[in-house]
Amino acid sequence: MSELSGRLQELLGLLSTSPALAIVLTFGAFFAGNRTFRLLKQPVWLPPILISAMLVGGMIAILRIDYAEYREGSQWLTVLLGPATVALGVPLYQQMHHIRALWRPILFTLPVAATMAAVYAVVIAAALGASEEVLASLAPKSVTAPIAIGITEQLGGSVSLMMGGLLITGMLATLFVDLIAGWLSITDHRILGFALGLNGHALGTARAFEIGPTAGAFASLGMGLTGVFTAMILPLVFHLGAR
Amino acid sequence: MSMLYGFLVLTVFFIAGEVLRVLLALPVSGGVIGMILLTLLLMVRGSISASLAGASQALISVLVLLIMPGVVGVFFVADEFAGQWLAIGVALAVGTLLSVLTTLWLMQRLSGPEDGGHE
Repeated sequence: MSELSGRLQELLGLLSTSPALAIVLTFGAFFAGNRTFRLLKQPVWLPPILISAMLVGGMIAILRIDYAEYREGSQWLTVLLGPATVALGVPLYQQMHHIRALWRPILFTLPVAATMAAVYAVVIAAALGASEEVLASLAPKSVTAPIAIGITEQLGGSVSLMMGGLLITGMLATLFVDLIAGWLSITDHRILGFALGLNGHALGTARAFEIGPTAGAFASLGMGLTGVFTAMILPLVFHLGAR
Repeated sequence: MSMLYGFLVLTVFFIAGEVLRVLLALPVSGGVIGMILLTLLLMVRGSISASLAGASQALISVLVLLIMPGVVGVFFVADEFAGQWLAIGVALAVGTLLSVLTTLWLMQRLSGPEDGGHE
């Protein structure tokens, strides 16, 4: 019996050092997460990424794999993030012509709202005594994940904390856009979509496509522009503020 | 095959972004610089090849997969940020409420009531 458990230990050690197990866990959770999401009739408060991440987290806890080991095994997935970030330029280009329909409000709202999305969170967290690492992790909270990872690394934040903040922001933005649009009686799908993409990145954009194709297009536009604008402005502002 | 060609183009733009980032000491990630370059080039050309559109679509559809290792980490940082979770939670909730309010209010103010946009 003890011989068998010894071999099991050996097997687990072998698997956890090769990328194969990390791939199986990540891909398996990806498909299971998407399927569960559809089975639950696509709830806004439980996006597929959260389901998948909980599945991976649970599995590596059960298998007693160190998070650092899993991270190392799944390293090659992270390598694809660079080209995937570049790929976001394609939908941005495809939606760019929508600016013409609403260029004045968009070009004025974008810099103000994208800057304030970061400033509100950072100022509130700083007032409540959060460390500089936490502030750097919260600053890109409205930016789509691949771009936000680059920003957080530039600012010296924690990618894991930033990812958590991103998820919560996306879910809350979806909720708040519905609430506040009702309160301000805004029904224009272009405005709803733009606000969803600007504040709620990919999660907000997914919600916008449920409202309709126009809202979805403006959400993609808002998400892309916010990502580019924040990536360029935040490192400058953040370093000025830290001084 | 053609999808691979699109992937090659994306990766070349990523490397170009990295080169610019390092040479010009830019505080922006190479991926974002490559993305801006690609968007500008497509806007100048005014058209996009099927292989590039296909490769982008494919990569974007599996983005969740690519960011998963980072997201999973959030379950393992509880101790690291102990004592700051209240600040983090309030900043996220109130910050997002205020930024959504700012966006919607500005957009409503600036786009006159004359045009609809309903479907």
